[in-house]
Amino acid sequence: MVSRFSSFEPEPRAGWTRFGERLVPSQEKIGLVRNVFDSVAPRYDLMNDLMSLGIHRLWKDRLVSWLQPRQTMRILDVAGGTGDVALRMYGRRKELSGDQVGGITVCDVNIEMLEIGRDRALNSGIVEGIEWVCSDAESLCWPDDTFDAYTIAFGIRNVTNMKLALSEAKRVLKPGGRFMCLEFSKPIIPAIVPLYNAYSEHVLPRMGECVTAHGDAYRYLVESIRRFPDQEVLAGMLCDVGLERVRYRNLSGGIAALHSAWCL
Amino acid sequence: MTDSNDSNTSPIDPKLLEILVCPLTKGPLSYDRKAQELISSKAQLAFPIRDGIPIMLVDEARPLSDSSDNE
Repeated sequence: MVSRFSSFEPEPRAGWTRFGERLVPSQEKIGLVRNVFDSVAPRYDLMNDLMSLGIHRLWKDRLVSWLQPRQTMRILDVAGGTGDVALRMYGRRKELSGDQVGGITVCDVNIEMLEIGRDRALNSGIVEGIEWVCSDAESLCWPDDTFDAYTIAFGIRNVTNMKLALSEAKRVLKPGGRFMCLEFSKPIIPAIVPLYNAYSEHVLPRMGECVTAHGDAYRYLVESIRRFPDQEVLAGMLCDVGLERVRYRNLSGGIAALHSAWCL
Repeated sequence: MTDSNDSNTSPIDPKLLEILVCPLTKGPLSYDRKAQELISSKAQLAFPIRDGIPIMLVDEARPLSDSSDNE
């Protein structure tokens, strides 16, 4: 089982973890990641639009389409600070008739991101149905068997201990609950690989610097994307924590992937 | 994280508080309305609520044992 984790790169020695290309003490990573997102929070969504040429919106739509959030579902959206996914799910459920009884909870380790999300929701006239909680994906503050769905979009890459975060996901899911993860992945079309690498290495951090004045933050993002396990390895990690019926779909030729699994 | 000029007065949904547990012990929390804190007696930690958002991070929590009359 452990071999799946080591198949993409050697594990850093005990007590250390990767922060982009750098090795840092494990306990420091959460603070470093929070600094990244605090620094870019006010322009995070704008930056995502520019960086992905708006395509992240389509990817998030795909997540919501595959999940099919019904109104009775209690959904936890992890690392969802700015509310991008939660507001989509809310909108999708609103198209169905009846009240939204299940509730959507957004959790993020960054208070700044949550405040942006909450304000966005309020500005859209949503005062009920979405809750905002600052919580760490690796030690969630909900009891076992709480949620019908757990979603995480572009978040799992930033946790210090992915295995721990995935175990927590399984813990808070009810039996029969659904796990969905949207994350950058490995392009599967050989022709786009050099282009994609050049773009992410040279264009993205500069773009990040121009828009948010934090090029370093975006350099971290690029490095962390390159370090992230590919489709199959991530699928293996989901199996390893006991999630079942693991499937994934490549998005935009594998630049991103959407993984689905069930807690049975 | 900054905690200056917090108004700490945003209303918070009691239903939300009921469901939360201590991230460390997964044990129950009690709500201190006046201090705007969620107390985990098992972990001896007080989790702040800022601007209506519970901050359930162990790093941000106030240890109860050594700061009973801080602030």
